[in-house]
Amino acid sequence: MWRIWRLYDPLRALVVQGIFLFSLAALIHLILLSTDTYNWLNGPNARAVVMQKSAMPPAAPAQTK
Amino acid sequence: MAERRTSISGLTDEEAMEFHKYYMQGFIGFTAIAVVAHLLVWAWRPWL
Repeated sequence: MWRIWRLYDPLRALVVQGIFLFSLAALIHLILLSTDTYNWLNGPNARAVVMQKSAMPPAAPAQTK
Repeated sequence: MAERRTSISGLTDEEAMEFHKYYMQGFIGFTAIAVVAHLLVWAWRPWL
């Protein structure tokens, strides 16, 4: 396994890997922030969405106090 | 002294082995943090 570093220059590999992992992490975080369920900044606003994965339930009657 | 062959990257076998040791430490550490992060998110809101 270590023989890979006889092929690839470690400095270049680390720079490429750093850019790739940072880009991937930024992409995943932005995707999660764009969802209701996993947006950790706008609060727990989508617990119900998780449960509504299948069909939409019939409209519930208006709740009274 | 072990044989010091040249390679495409210019590293000797000893240098490649030494770099690999630290690279794998970083890889294992990164993976461990990622696993912990995924466990925490799963505990928060499982996605399956």
